Amino acid sequence: MDPDELLKNAKALSKQMSEYQGILPPDPPVSKQCSEAAWEELLVECDEQFNYMQQLQNDIAVTDADSSENQLNETENRINTLTAELKQWEESEPRLLSVNPEVLLSVGREELSQLNAQLEMVLSCCQAKRDKLREILKSERKWLEEKEEVLRAATEQVKALQEENERLSETSVLLDMKKKLKKMKDFQDNLLSTLSDILQEHFPLPQEGENGNKRKKKFRPEPRGDLISLHDILELLMNKTVETPHEPYVVMNESFWPPYIEMLLRYGIASRHPDDSVKIRLESFY
Amino acid sequence: MSSIKPFSKLPQLNTANVLLVENEGKLQNDLADAIVQQENNVNVTVRLARGLPLPAENEENRPRIDLVVFIVHLSSELSLVSTENSLKQLDTGYFLGKVCFLVTGARCGLVPDERLVSLRKLAGSLHCPLLFAEDQTREGVSTAAQRVLKILRVSAGLVPMVTGLYLSSLTRCTVPLDSDGSVQD
Repeated sequence: MDPDELLKNAKALSKQMSEYQGILPPDPPVSKQCSEAAWEELLVECDEQFNYMQQLQNDIAVTDADSSENQLNETENRINTLTAELKQWEESEPRLLSVNPEVLLSVGREELSQLNAQLEMVLSCCQAKRDKLREILKSERKWLEEKEEVLRAATEQVKALQEENERLSETSVLLDMKKKLKKMKDFQDNLLSTLSDILQEHFPLPQEGENGNKRKKKFRPEPRGDLISLHDILELLMNKTVETPHEPYVVMNESFWPPYIEMLLRYGIASRHPDDSVKIRLESFY
Repeated sequence: MSSIKPFSKLPQLNTANVLLVENEGKLQNDLADAIVQQENNVNVTVRLARGLPLPAENEENRPRIDLVVFIVHLSSELSLVSTENSLKQLDTGYFLGKVCFLVTGARCGLVPDERLVSLRKLAGSLHCPLLFAEDQTREGVSTAAQRVLKILRVSAGLVPMVTGLYLSSLTRCTVPLDSDGSVQD
C-alpha cells in the first residue's frame, strides 16, 4: 500500500477508535500493587510447585538409573512419549493459577489488554483485505463486461455469415453463373449481328455488271465469282487469332478483294506478315 | 566426555538454555548475539559447541539444556558429516522435541542436491524441525534468531499448553515424494 492509502486507513481506524472510546470503561490504573497477603499466597504456591518438581526430578533420576540403557527405536520412543503425553492431557483438569481474587484480577486485566491490542490489529488487517477484495471485484466485473461485449459482437458476426451462407447455396451460385454466361453469349451474338449489318450496309461486295465496268474490264483480272465479303474476311481473321494465337496469320488468296485488304491495313485493323506479303493477321488490340 | 541428558537437572526459574552446535564456528557467535538481544522476558543463555560430545569439565556448572540446534552449512561436506557424528552422541531423549536443525546456504546453486536431500531425510527420520536461514545479512541472522527463540520457548516449557514434543510433531521435516512414488516420512 502506498503511503497515502496507509495514511487514509490509519485516519479511518483512529476515527473508528475515537467513536467507541467513549463507551469503554476508563483504563485501569497501571500495576496496582497487590496486597501483601496475596504475594505471600503466591509465594507459597510457588514453593509447593517447586517441591513437586523436585519430587518428579527424583523420580526421573530413579527411573533413568533403573531402566537399562536399551536404546529403543526412535519411532517407538516417540510413540510411547506421545501416548503418555496424551494420557496426561486427558487426565489433567483445568485449574486456576490461584484462588486469590486480586491475583486473578491483575492477571485477567493484563490478558484482556493484550487481547484488545491483538484484536485491533486483526480488525485493521481484515479491513484492508476486504478493501483489496472489493477493488479486485470491481476490476473483474469490468473485465467481464468487456468480454461479454466481445462475445456479443462475435455472435452477431457469426449469425450474419450464416445467413449469407444459406442465401448463397451451391445451386444458386450455379444458376448465377449460367445466367451470366447466357448474358455474355447474347451480347456477343448481338455484337456480331450488328457488325454484320453494318458491314453489309457500308462495305458491300463489288457487284458484277455495274455501270462503267465494261470500260475497266481489263483492270479486273480476278475472278469476281468467289469474292468473300468483308464480314467473312474479318470472321476468318478473328477465328484464326482466337483459336490459334501462336499462329494468327491467314494466308490470303484471290478471293480476298484487295481494296478491302488495303483498307484494313491502312486503318491498322490488320497487318502483313513482315517476311511474307501473302499472310495477314488481325492487329492485337488487347 | 559426557553425554547430556534432557531431564537430568532441575530447570531454573524463567530461564531457557540453548546449545548451538556448529563445526565451523562462523554463524554461532552472530546468532548467539541476536538471540540474546531479542529476548526480553526470559533469561536466555546460549552455549556454543563445535561438536558433541561435550567436554566433561563443565559438567556440574552446565545448566539443563533445553534445545540443541545443529547448524549445517550446505557449502561444505564436512559440516554435514560432523553433524551426523555429533547426532550419534546425543541422548535419544533429546529427539523428542528438543533438537532442531538450522541450514544455511540452501539457495546457492553450486551446492549439490544430494546434501540437502540427505539432510532432509535425516531430519525427517528424527522427526525434527528443519529451518533454513540466511547467514550473510543481519536481517537473515535476526530472523533465524527469532525462529530459534520461538522453538526454544516451547521446548523450555515457557509457553502454556504446548510441549516440545507437540511442536516438533507439527513442525517436523517431511521429505518430498520420491519420483518413483514411494512416500518418505
